[in-house]
Amino acid sequence: MLLKKFFNVGFGDIRVVERSGVGLERIELYPLFTADFLDLLRRTLPEERHAEVVFSITITASKPA
Amino acid sequence: MPHFRDEEARAIIRDAYGQVRSTSAVVAEMFYAPEELDVLPREVVLLALGVGHPLRHAALRGGETVLDLGCGAGIDTLLAARAVGPTGQAIGLDMTPEMVARARRNAETAQLANVQILQGQIESVPLPDASVDVVISNGVLNLSMRKSRVLAEAWRVLRPGGRLSMSDLVLAESLPQEVLASPAALAG
Repeated sequence: MLLKKFFNVGFGDIRVVERSGVGLERIELYPLFTADFLDLLRRTLPEERHAEVVFSITITASKPA
Repeated sequence: MPHFRDEEARAIIRDAYGQVRSTSAVVAEMFYAPEELDVLPREVVLLALGVGHPLRHAALRGGETVLDLGCGAGIDTLLAARAVGPTGQAIGLDMTPEMVARARRNAETAQLANVQILQGQIESVPLPDASVDVVISNGVLNLSMRKSRVLAEAWRVLRPGGRLSMSDLVLAESLPQEVLASPAALAG
């Protein structure tokens, strides 16, 4: 879905060059999140998702010459 | 269906990032090598809030112009400035006045004369068409309610043959409605 947006605006050579799961333990390291929000994640997400809530990816692309 | 309107989302993000404080370098240490962090002002390292290391894949060359969308306190902008050298330029763009002030102060502390920090929105980049060689961003695209617009702006400001390298967060599965409706989720 996200990669399609890159394609739709005209980018070429679109690649996902890095991809890793981000779990609650890593999210807790960011000072942006309150204890209440972290608790909400813990309460509402099934335990099997705690180790992989989202994915971190790095995308490269180029504008054709 | 988005849970927040564009302007509402922007205000939440501006508040969250404007108020953020950190006394730990743990986020920066997840992504950057010690020798990269050693040459940066401490405030930049403490306020690294990215989710990857887009510069690792940007293959920057001396003399290039780099635009960092949503530069925050400036960690990637300052590293880009060092990579492109004095004949190049690194431009950081951020909508949060506090982050713009921090990034400008950090560029000054780092004594990097080839850094320019602009205040503005990533959906409306205040730069001319075809004016940069490389666009980077780190954990920022997911904050925008108009991602296609951000990408179209990146495309517009890139020169033909220009490159883009973005680190960001994506969902593999949807989050619970209660989480999606939380302003805190939007800020992250």
